[in-house]
Amino acid sequence: MSINFKKIEDSLKAEAKKLLEEGKVSIVLAYKKGYDDKHPMPYVARKISDVENIVFNEYCTANMARYLVRYPRGTKIAIAVKASDSRAVIQLIQEDKVKREDLIVLGIPVYGMKNFKTGKTIDSKTTCGIYNPVLYDVLLGEEVHGQPVVPPYGVLIEYEKIDKDARWAFWEKEFDRCIRCYACRKACPMCYCDPCFIDQNKPKWGEKSPESHGNLMYHLTRFHHLAGRCIDCGECSRACPVDIPLYLFHKKVAKECEEMFGQAAGMSIEDKPVLVNFRVDDSDKILE
Amino acid sequence: MKKTAIQKISDLAAELLEKGTLVAPIKEDAGFNFREISDAKQVDLNFYNTLMSPKSAFFPQTEDFVRYNKNKSVLEAQCVDMNLGPVFLFGVRPCDVKSFEIMDIHFSGTGAVDPYWKKRREATTIFGYAFDPNAPADGADFYSTLGIGAADPEGSDIFMIKKGDDLLFKAVTPKGENLLASLSSLADASKDEIKYFDETVVSGRSFKTRFTCVDTKVIAKKLEDIFHKTEFWDKVSEACLSCGVCTFVCPTCYCFDICDETLFSQGVRRRVWDACMFTDFTLEASGHNPRTKVYQRLRQKICHKYSFHIRKYGVISCVGCGRCTRNCPVNIDIFSIVDEALKE
Amino acid sequence: MLFEPKILGIACNWCTYTGADLAGTTRLQYPQNLRVVRVMCSSRINPSFIFRAFQLGADGVLVGGCHPGDCHYNTGNLYARRRLAVTKKILEFAGIEPGRFRVEWISASEGNKFAEVVTEFTKQVKNLGPQTKFKIEQQPSLEKI
Repeated sequence: MSINFKKIEDSLKAEAKKLLEEGKVSIVLAYKKGYDDKHPMPYVARKISDVENIVFNEYCTANMARYLVRYPRGTKIAIAVKASDSRAVIQLIQEDKVKREDLIVLGIPVYGMKNFKTGKTIDSKTTCGIYNPVLYDVLLGEEVHGQPVVPPYGVLIEYEKIDKDARWAFWEKEFDRCIRCYACRKACPMCYCDPCFIDQNKPKWGEKSPESHGNLMYHLTRFHHLAGRCIDCGECSRACPVDIPLYLFHKKVAKECEEMFGQAAGMSIEDKPVLVNFRVDDSDKILE
Repeated sequence: MKKTAIQKISDLAAELLEKGTLVAPIKEDAGFNFREISDAKQVDLNFYNTLMSPKSAFFPQTEDFVRYNKNKSVLEAQCVDMNLGPVFLFGVRPCDVKSFEIMDIHFSGTGAVDPYWKKRREATTIFGYAFDPNAPADGADFYSTLGIGAADPEGSDIFMIKKGDDLLFKAVTPKGENLLASLSSLADASKDEIKYFDETVVSGRSFKTRFTCVDTKVIAKKLEDIFHKTEFWDKVSEACLSCGVCTFVCPTCYCFDICDETLFSQGVRRRVWDACMFTDFTLEASGHNPRTKVYQRLRQKICHKYSFHIRKYGVISCVGCGRCTRNCPVNIDIFSIVDEALKE
Repeated sequence: MLFEPKILGIACNWCTYTGADLAGTTRLQYPQNLRVVRVMCSSRINPSFIFRAFQLGADGVLVGGCHPGDCHYNTGNLYARRRLAVTKKILEFAGIEPGRFRVEWISASEGNKFAEVVTEFTKQVKNLGPQTKFKIEQQPSLEKI
């Protein structure tokens, strides 16, 4: 079964038009054509005449959930989401950054998305591996069935096997390349803190210059702040101009949180995020 | 005029390495980047343009100024010496060469001279490298819109043009002439090759990238006129993440911060790149921040580069290299914002 | 010269710190390598403290809190347990030896346990040697002006 992107695009436009006409939402978060067809941009449709600019193709990888926190509470928003984006929406609802009743979630079941920087197909090595949105009000397309179930943490096996010193050498080399542009932070739907810890002066957690130790502090703390919240969309790694494989570490933390606390991020709006929750019978074994 | 086979570029690189420091493009995981070369074989000219701009050859991301030691009641400090021999900056595209001219305005043209910039500029011999006018422009470039030719030799000390499997070298400045005369790994070019060189420079001037030519004064005025049209700026900034990538890869962005980085009692005062797109760029000590919204910061960036800079210095603060567009995580096309502004 | 590790101890005021006090008043001997920082509750601990400690040269970090269920603030250590478990996993994946970071539940009456844990932990960290991975290298020293 191959994905008919044009059909999805048409359904998305039809739905957006309907919602704006009926006044059910004031904005629709979707995509539009960028400087060429292979580089779509995030788009906010506000009027019915805006709807004709909406596109959807295999390069529409941006996680639109990151824009939800920009709008004042109470704004009625329709948002086009793929599977991992829908998880981000759920996670934001869990954290009370946006209300479920203010959203109309347009779920897009899809696979075969492509990275517009490299042209390569995106698989569960760098993203969550789920095809069908977990939360939606309207499903724009048929649910994906029969596609291989890919383990989202499979890519970690190789890294968990290698010796810790080799792992350190790997991460040291990767973090050395970081130029502290903060694209990862801004691309992430869950990084909405203002001010971010790294921008603070008292205390100063990391120096401003892109040296190893400052980069290490920034990244490790960010991985920690996203523990149990990262929904594995892979946007951070795609946004990175120097291609640091951030998804590897985020996946590792997500895997550990799932194993230790029995809950994956962004799967149900009734959940509480794992680190603002506890069970009295949490095992002490997790500290070993 | 001299020439060499592109295959034998490592011979030239080795010769330059003996004479001083060589900074040239090498292939890395994420793309090509200018780095200090230690192995002549690393030099690779098989690129369209580098990921990061060559501005870091003169304006590095981190520049140490003073080292200090806080010992009980005494503060000892020492300026960091810039031990700089001759530097060869190899393989710079014409748009990037032009960017050095624009940056010169800020670092040495406004009365206060930045000694670090000046010293690096004086020590460096620039080998410019023409775009291939027979190959199509990349989807993100727009340098011809800003009056830069694909094979403009101005600004380089030595200019290189590819002809088939060979690389032709022409000296543009006396500094370049002296260097070229001293290089033994280069052969003399033939009359045909000299003719090809000159023709390519000319045809490079009519090479068209995207966007039609615009009058900088018109852009400057228009952006000033719509400065308060919040509706417009809201619309063009809706996708912007306000991350900072465009600033860091841009060859004409020069904002920096001076930080004292101390560990226990020892520290260093250094200059680091800053970006007007960062949320806390205009955060004041009182806690007030005049630019809290994304549209305010994006408006500042566009107006600085395409309006205020023209008003103040007469030149646009952009060379159309396209790095911002290529590296933007959400594919924002910066010049299209200017294009749209002209239609308002 | 034998390697003497620098160990940072973060102890919660109500249980572990009091337990450490008890170890002192009962004249129990334990290695001197531990530098203790008192916090009101183990949940006050920001994981960045741990990362920063390793960056500033700590060879080991030992966190002590009340037993889960006995937190002076009812639930603090239950959050801390989850949070510090994640910290441990992050440190390990980054490549830090697992033996360098430990969390122990030590109550106010467990002076003996405190001394035992510190002795054992110090021995463990000593065997691991100096921590060099995260430690920030100092700037080269200034030549005399």
